Parts: sequence; structure tokens; C-alpha cells
Amino acid sequence: MALPVQERWDLVDAIARKTVTAGIYRQNLGDVLGDLTVRPLTGIAVAVAVLYAFWSIFSSFAGTLVTDGFMVKAFDDYWLPWLQEVWPDPASIHYFLFVGDPLAENCFEAFGMLTSGLFVSIGVVLPAVLIFYLMMTILEDSGYLPRLAVLMDTVFHRIGLHGYAIVPTILGLGCNVPAVTATRVLETRKQRFIMMTLLAIFIPCGAQLGVMLEVIPDAVGWVMLFLLFGFGIFGFVLDRIIPGSNPEILIDVPPYHWPLWKNVAKKLVNRTKSFLKDAVPFVLFGVLAVNVLYLAGVIGALADLFEPLFVTWFGVPKETVGPLIAAFLRKDLAVAQLSAIAMTPYQMITAVVLVSIYFPCVATFVVMLREGWKELAAAVAVLAATVFVYGGLIHAVGILMGVA
Amino acid sequence: MNRNTSMVTLYIGLLGLVTLAFGLADILAWAGMIQSVSIGVLEIAGDDFFRWAWGGAVMVFGGLFMLGSLMSPGTMERSAKAILGAIMVWIIAGTDIFARLCESIPAGEEAPEFFNSVAGFIGGFAPPYSAAVLLLPFTLVIVYFLFNRKSDEA
Repeated sequence: MALPVQERWDLVDAIARKTVTAGIYRQNLGDVLGDLTVRPLTGIAVAVAVLYAFWSIFSSFAGTLVTDGFMVKAFDDYWLPWLQEVWPDPASIHYFLFVGDPLAENCFEAFGMLTSGLFVSIGVVLPAVLIFYLMMTILEDSGYLPRLAVLMDTVFHRIGLHGYAIVPTILGLGCNVPAVTATRVLETRKQRFIMMTLLAIFIPCGAQLGVMLEVIPDAVGWVMLFLLFGFGIFGFVLDRIIPGSNPEILIDVPPYHWPLWKNVAKKLVNRTKSFLKDAVPFVLFGVLAVNVLYLAGVIGALADLFEPLFVTWFGVPKETVGPLIAAFLRKDLAVAQLSAIAMTPYQMITAVVLVSIYFPCVATFVVMLREGWKELAAAVAVLAATVFVYGGLIHAVGILMGVA
Repeated sequence: MNRNTSMVTLYIGLLGLVTLAFGLADILAWAGMIQSVSIGVLEIAGDDFFRWAWGGAVMVFGGLFMLGSLMSPGTMERSAKAILGAIMVWIIAGTDIFARLCESIPAGEEAPEFFNSVAGFIGGFAPPYSAAVLLLPFTLVIVYFLFNRKSDEA
């Protein structure tokens, strides 16, 4: 039986009197600090500082401490020489597949499943992913991430997205696989498609960042700059050509608080575990598959076929075709392979940008397929056009600057 | 305005100016417009975009926040901006110290052992330091001032 309107309101008042206690709101320092971090003028400065801290801690921990400090030594001075000594018959196929080059002096160049494969996954990717997810979780649980979403809302609206697109974007810097799943925070199919496509093309994952930091530390800034420009330009274009709506959102911004370390630890363990479960087999299998393709002559044939495109249009050596094939399996491996090819610094930047914007890695590909084959097919078409146009554009910039 | 408040204002203003100047020096050193600085325990190498240009920008923001706090209406906003300015310096100093820590723990590529010796580890923290690290103790004074004032008000 429905109550008349007045009685309903009386009932609401009665319940409210019994359950709600009104107090006096006193603004504290935390509230004002929270407010300053969402105002554009002060908030952007804070975001610049937070991103600085994020990247600085990431490179110091993953690059300097764990990978350079311990893993390189463990793998290059102990693991690789031991494997090269005990594995029988260096001229055999199994040696090539599992140990790689018998004359290699480091695991990056050996390119065997148990040398490069293990080194990349355990020595480079694991520390990078661990510290990335730790910082991401702290930002999330302290209440900074929703503020960043508010701050970035206007920027993301220019490319057809909204503030919460910052979540898949930052997650994508760790791994594109959970980032593609996180595109579900966006409301419309148009927004999800734009985000997925931009993720697959312009957001390098933590593994790739880790390897880039290891093999081309001086060029990482330039590579990121090219990717950032591409993210903005192609997002803007996609927003104009794809039909659909870009709705506004309301974001609940919690007050700043100290993260609960139990929650941080739980999230960190879960995220790292699922990443390792998805990534490590792909890295190991990726090295094996690429080696098989080399042995079968497939990569050599493709290199010959695509030579005019790579040399003339992109301005990179034809040897980069091999790493681009490998990039479909693991982009981090592809960057590692690129480091062994003789190139000018600008060619190296171009090649790494190409690897980044080229096809998503197979794990991301599978997750995108799960989100819908039509979206995947359209994303691949956009991707092919982007690689062609943007790769040529970077070459043209290099020619104009006199460095290509 | 009592004597205590004007002293705090003067302190934050001076610290803001110094932070701003060091931030600009970081950026100019990176851009090659001034020579890299190495005076006593202070060093501005300017050899890396990320640390000196981006980090310098963060220092500039820190200085501007501290100076902006002097012109802000209301005690709470003034305190918040001064704290935010100090946090900017803490971010740069904290990441600089963390970078040294990460460099000092391993023994180095050439050494046969994995871990650094105690002397080597401590030696990793020897001067020269960046401007942010040198300014760190001075920014902590801001927190002392603000908490002191809070307890006076209470």
C-alpha cells in the first residue's frame, strides 16, 4: 500500500531525526590540501611533482637497484656462463632455442628462452611491475587518484574521454592487459573503443619501460614525448571520426588518508601475481617462438619483403623487422633485440616508438578480443594506419632536424 | 600582526625565494644557460633532463607555492600552500636520497661481490648534495611553525 506524499515525507523526517546527527563542519588542513590538488593552477603543479616522484622511484628501484645492481650480475656473470658450459652441443637447434648465441656475453644478447627469456621476465619485468603496482596502489588508496581524475577531466574530454580514463591509462603503464579490462569504467562503446585503441598504440607497458630504461636510458624521454603527442593527436582525431556520445561523470572524491598497509599488500600481491601468471609464460614462449621463426627463415623473408617500407618510409634498418615480429609476442623483448642492432640514436628512437605503437602484444590482443571482435578489428585497422602515418611523420621530423 | 607571525612570514618568504632560485638554476643548468654549479656541499650538475629540468620545475612550483602562501586569504589556505611548497621540496629531496640509497646498496658492476661494504654504503651519501637535499631541514621548520601555531590557537 502506497503512502500519501505528505506522510512519506513525515516518515523520512522521523527516520532522519533518529538516525542522523548533525555536527558543525570545520575545515582542516587536509581538506584545504585536497582542494588545492584539484584546482587546475595548483593541481597541475602537484600532478607534475607526483609523476616526477613516481618515475624517479620507479627507475631508481627497478633500474638502478634491482636490475643493474643485482640481476645483471647474477644473470651475466653466473647464470649465462653456467648454462653455456653445461648445455650440450652449442651448434644444435635446442641450444639455439634455449640458450641462444653461444658467444653472447650477456643475457640481453643471447636470446635463448632460458637466458634472455628468464632475464627479461625475472630480472627486468618483475622489479618494474612490483614497484609500479606498489606506487599505483598507494596513490589509489591515499585518495590522490580520484583527484587526478577530476584534474584530467577537461583534458580527456578533448579526446572524447573523461577523467576516469586516467585509471586505464596509468594501469597501462604497468600492463595493458588489466588496463584493457579497466576500460569498462568508461560509459559508452565509443569511449571504450578510443581508450582501448590508444592503450594498444601509445601506452608502453611497465615491462617495456623497464627494458627501455635498461637499453636506451638517454632516449626514453624522447620516446615518451613522441608517444604522448601521438596519444593526444590520435585521440582527438578518433573522437571526431567515431560516432557516439561522451557523457559527463560525477566523481566521488574521498578525503586524503593514510593507506591501510594490509590493503596495499593484498592489492600488490594480487596484481603482481596475475601479471606474472599472464606475462612470464608469454615472455618464455615468445623467445622460443621468435627463435623458431628465425630458424624457419620466416623473419628473414619478412625482412626482405618489408625492406622498402622500413628503410625508405620509416628510415630504420631492415634488421628491425625481426624485433617487430617479436613485438607481437612481447614488446619488451623486441626493445631488447633492437639494442643489438647498429643504429643512429634517432633511428633507435624511431624504432622503439614503432615497436611501442605497432600491434599490441599477444596477451593484450587476447583481452581485446574478449571485449569484442568488431572493436578489435577496428582497433587493428586504426593501428595499421597509425603506424604507417606516425612512423613516416617521425622520419620526416628527423629529416627536417637533420638527424635522420 | 604579532611579532611571531611576521617572523614566520619572513621565513617562508625567504625560503620560497631561495627554493625558486634553486629551481630556476636547475633548469638553466640543464638548458646550458649557466655552467653546472659545484660550490662546497652544493651541486647542480644539469646533465639530465628528467632530474634537472623536470625536477627543477617541481622546485620552482615549490618556491611559488611558498611565496603564494604569503598572499593567500585566510590562515588555513596560507598554511596549506606553505606545506604544499615544502612537500614539493621533500619530493625532490626524498627521491634524490632514495636514488643514492639504491646506488649505494649494490657493490657495482666491476666488483665481484653483490653487496657494497659498509664504508662504501656510507660513502654513497657523502657530499655534494642537490639544493633540494640542503633545503630539506629548512622546510621542516615550516611544519614546526605551523604546528606550533596550531597548538597556540588550541
